Amino acid sequence: MLPVGSAEPKEILRPGGNGYAKNSRKELVPVAADLGLDSSSGDLHEEVIVARGLEKTYADVRAVRGVDFTIRRGECFAFLGPNGAGKSSTIRMLSCLSPVSGGELTVLGQRADIGARRIKERLGIVSQDDNVDPDLSLMENLLVYAHYFGMPSAEARQHAEELLTFMQLEGRSKAAVRELSGGMRRRLVIARALMHRPDILVLDEPTTGLDPQARLLVWGAVQQLKAQGVTVVLTTHYMDEAERLADRLVVMDHGRILQEDAPRPLIERTVGREAVEIWHRQGDDQPYIAAAGDALLLSDRHGDTLVLYASEPGRIGQEFARQGLAPERMLVRPPNLEDVFLTLTGRDLRE
Amino acid sequence: MNGTSRLLRAAAAVWWRDFVAWRKFWRSSILLNFGEPLTNLLALGVGLGAYVAVMQGVSFLQFIAPGLLAVTAMNAVTFDAGFETYDKLNSSGVYAAMLTSPLTVPEIVLGEYLWEATRAILYGAVFFLVILAFGLVHSWWSLLLPLPLILFGVLFTAPALYVAAVARTHEQLFYYFSLVITPMFMFSGVFFPVAHLPWIVRDLIYILPLYHGVLLTRAMVLGQMAPSILWQFVWLIGYAALLAYLPVRALARRLTT
Repeated sequence: MLPVGSAEPKEILRPGGNGYAKNSRKELVPVAADLGLDSSSGDLHEEVIVARGLEKTYADVRAVRGVDFTIRRGECFAFLGPNGAGKSSTIRMLSCLSPVSGGELTVLGQRADIGARRIKERLGIVSQDDNVDPDLSLMENLLVYAHYFGMPSAEARQHAEELLTFMQLEGRSKAAVRELSGGMRRRLVIARALMHRPDILVLDEPTTGLDPQARLLVWGAVQQLKAQGVTVVLTTHYMDEAERLADRLVVMDHGRILQEDAPRPLIERTVGREAVEIWHRQGDDQPYIAAAGDALLLSDRHGDTLVLYASEPGRIGQEFARQGLAPERMLVRPPNLEDVFLTLTGRDLRE
Repeated sequence: MNGTSRLLRAAAAVWWRDFVAWRKFWRSSILLNFGEPLTNLLALGVGLGAYVAVMQGVSFLQFIAPGLLAVTAMNAVTFDAGFETYDKLNSSGVYAAMLTSPLTVPEIVLGEYLWEATRAILYGAVFFLVILAFGLVHSWWSLLLPLPLILFGVLFTAPALYVAAVARTHEQLFYYFSLVITPMFMFSGVFFPVAHLPWIVRDLIYILPLYHGVLLTRAMVLGQMAPSILWQFVWLIGYAALLAYLPVRALARRLTT
């Protein structure tokens, strides 16, 4: 049923691969040209979003408790955290969808509390709920939205065609939104957020609820946009998503920022360079922990699994071999953001 | 761009969204908004009218036709503003999406007024064609009918938007329809002159905006214009001015937390 690109899942599955990347780049040229965001123009180190002591309070809940962060032009910046960490509240404030309760927030040189209109003119906002207009077709959704920005019709129509192609929705422009799958709706919301050629794309949990193919397509799109110089701000609780997309990220919990860094340095700093998973029944972890010795950065247990984090790859294995320890089932893997996340925010279920 | 032209362009964009959505369902929409007043006109005007010889010097059918035009416009505005706004807030996220653009809540509300004024004129015009076909239009003053209908687009939209913003369920919308709109329809002098009623009832009826709307449409359709009719305009303009800002705060509270 899907037209052209979507009917070739292999291309979608390799967002960096030849067919998809080449195709998308070709389609994206008009976007980039009009955005004027190629590396030759614009200061890539310009601070586009600056928050100082930012707070959000609802009735009696302090959702964001004084956070500081700086987002620079052209980077992808991610807010990570469990449900209720304050990510969405933060991102809603910087999208000017929710008033700032305390502290300072500047977006593109405008104060968020008084410059909302100017800020929104340059922001592409993809909210958590797919609020596409159910009474309109895909094309109408894009054109009507462009109208909200005062964009001339002819220009809007041409740009809408480009964006439908970019999000692999071409050939469906007259379809009713009601006929779309969840993944297609999300892609349409992203296309809509790009209609007015924003400087910053804000994505609030962009792939929550999507199947793997749709996630890859969204990731591919984000990477393409970033390559064109669009600043991307996103929230997610998928660690692989943050690791793949983000240049820098903050881990939030209980309304505070726990850590801030690029994914790799953050992982190495927090959980070292190697994770050793040992499956064994609830029993004595002590022999393993003792054997790891000073190679051990920290240890963590969940269920039947003991995880040992080491600052140097291979060290724990060597120690085990030297001391004749041979766990029945053992997995040695590179540590990832999930380890960081669970280490920083704990294993308690939220909500 | 100065403030006023900005505001109008923004409101026009909201109007355009509603128009594009309406364009898809216009046939069924007109049919739906049309069946009830037409039934009233035929059942009451022709049926009951056979027993009521003359009312204020005209036939009963003639008496009720212009009032039913006002009712048609009121209902077209009220039900659309009520249900559509409720859905835009609670299920489709149309307003939430608008707020991710530079549009503001006052601009959205103004856009809805423009759209509902359009609907009032449109649905009023369709009903007008019917009573014209029945030979019930007697004056060129009828060309002024859009004026009260535009005011309907504000004064009946405003409370409907407000109710949609504060309602937690669809049922609560019906409270407004059946406890406010329906009684107003019955008592606003569409079916009988109110002059002979006890003074307290009469004074209560004078407060109803539809009553003044009915007097206006009747005067225009029958060509019974007099300087005193301007007072009915004053009432409608007063109500529109009084109510116009009512939904802005309620909607803002729902949309920006």
